[in-house]
Amino acid sequence: MPADSASLSPVEARATERRPWLPRWLSSEHPFPWLFPAAALMVVFGIYPLVYAITLSLYKRNAATRKMIFDPTHNWTKILADERVWNAIYNTFLYTGVALFFQLTLGMLIALLLDSDRKGYGVLRAMMTLPLVIPPAVTGMMFLLMLNGSFGVLSRGLIALGIFPTGFSILGTANTAMAGVLTAEIWQWTPFMVLIMLAGLRSLPKEPFEAAAIDGATATQAFFKLTLPMMSKVIAIAVLIRGIDLFRAFDYVKVMTDSGPGTATETLTSYAGRIYFGSADFPYASTIALLTLIIVILASTTFMKIFKVKL
Amino acid sequence: METSRPLQILRDVAAVTVVGIFMFPIFWWALTSIKPISAVFDKDRVNFFDFVPTFINYGVTLFGQSRSQLAIDQGIGMGVGGAEAYDSRQSIMESIIISLGTTVITMTIAVFAAYAISRMMFRGRNSYLNWVLGQRFMPPIAILVPLVTIYKTAGLRDTDNLYMGYFGLMMIYALMNLPIAVLLMKSFLDDVPKDVDEAAMIDGATRFQTFRKIVLPMVKGGIAASAVLVFIFSWTEFLLSLFLTTEIRTVPVKIQTFVTSTGNEWGFIAALGTAAIILSFIFILLVQKNLVRGLTLGSLKE
Repeated sequence: MPADSASLSPVEARATERRPWLPRWLSSEHPFPWLFPAAALMVVFGIYPLVYAITLSLYKRNAATRKMIFDPTHNWTKILADERVWNAIYNTFLYTGVALFFQLTLGMLIALLLDSDRKGYGVLRAMMTLPLVIPPAVTGMMFLLMLNGSFGVLSRGLIALGIFPTGFSILGTANTAMAGVLTAEIWQWTPFMVLIMLAGLRSLPKEPFEAAAIDGATATQAFFKLTLPMMSKVIAIAVLIRGIDLFRAFDYVKVMTDSGPGTATETLTSYAGRIYFGSADFPYASTIALLTLIIVILASTTFMKIFKVKL
Repeated sequence: METSRPLQILRDVAAVTVVGIFMFPIFWWALTSIKPISAVFDKDRVNFFDFVPTFINYGVTLFGQSRSQLAIDQGIGMGVGGAEAYDSRQSIMESIIISLGTTVITMTIAVFAAYAISRMMFRGRNSYLNWVLGQRFMPPIAILVPLVTIYKTAGLRDTDNLYMGYFGLMMIYALMNLPIAVLLMKSFLDDVPKDVDEAAMIDGATRFQTFRKIVLPMVKGGIAASAVLVFIFSWTEFLLSLFLTTEIRTVPVKIQTFVTSTGNEWGFIAALGTAAIILSFIFILLVQKNLVRGLTLGSLKE
């Protein structure tokens, strides 16, 4: 090694030796070239549109002249008075909450059921992952077919059981439409919870359970006193990831009910979409979209603080 | 724990039943795709197997057969017309191009960023990581409305220029898939001990040579798993494609156009849907081992 480069670290010395004409921050020893492509993508397609959205939300669109007038409070005060926004917020929270509850409980129960080393269980576990990769738009179609009032297999089953009157349209009735959409959501994403719970169950240490069994604990006691507390981190991560995705609910709603009947299944995303396609009031659609973002950020940071999870 | 034999059998039955319930919609969907129209719309009973299987739905959606011609040939009494509208070969090609392109772009960008995050110490490393992760929290709708305007100005709409349309959609898909790709690759790279890099660099290799010749081959499996997941997420995406493109119709968007005011073409919907599902199924079975890690952005390992 040349004497004059002794003060530099070996890595730096090589970088300057190889291509002396290259600035150091452009060499592969510097993180910049490695991080730049991803950063550029995030700035151009993420930050820029977001800033644009914020700017848009400060403008008022004149429907007749199509001119934009700067009026920072217009859209945000309009939101407060817009009953459909509150309805959409309520629906989005309802959708997220109900889906999370069912997916979590069913996911845990099914994971406990399938957590076995016996022959054949591996195949069952693999089959459980299949719903995850179906395009949600296709899942929506599946359930639209099965929930059809006159020839849908699920509807017919429920009618045969006497739960609904003949010819009852689950998705066409305001009170039951949300339940219909949620059926598709829960069917497709319960396997997500099953998978994560299974991974959690498999990583649990064996000793505490053996000790508990010796002390005469029942399976139920072992579950509530050992399994659940030890799984809390896994459960929190699963809830966080699923919650974020649930809050952007759109695909099933769009395909199955198109936010209807009326506004019975309208979520924040689908309401923004309806304004966008319907009245072309871009500033207002942007404002509602930003409201969704704000709620997601607030809810997820609070959740991460309370449950001390980090992704 | 020891379980008694009857209890074990009960558990087996319960497990099979539960999985069976979850498989039923897929089974029903595939069954619908080979049903003649009269069996789909059977109002008198739920028609399970009482029909003559037909591949007419696949013929029309996947092989571009003319619906009216088939109707005449086989004497099946159904509505004629609208033959082209149901030919989905174009959509499938577009979906494959978009998904493959997205996978290549995302993985290239992500592997570089993940390597730096995993291997280098620099100021703002955590902020950068959080920035990437933040993309995962952002609901797509938040940037979608301005994005349409931006694409219009920048000429990235498919109605102006088809190639730019592809590019525009791939880039926004890449952004949406970036967090999962970067964090997953970081988790795979973290599994490779840093000593490997240091040994190579002491032997005189540059960072880039170390990365390309030593580290990259060691995480081949991780790259494959991440790429498959990115492909699946692009393949199933609906909202962005619906908003941003009109000429390019990915399969999830195309399928929605079969819902018409005169009635839903369930046979065609089910046939195209089944075709879209089968591709996903093949891919998911390839990544079983890394699925949990992928779905939790590398924070949980199996």
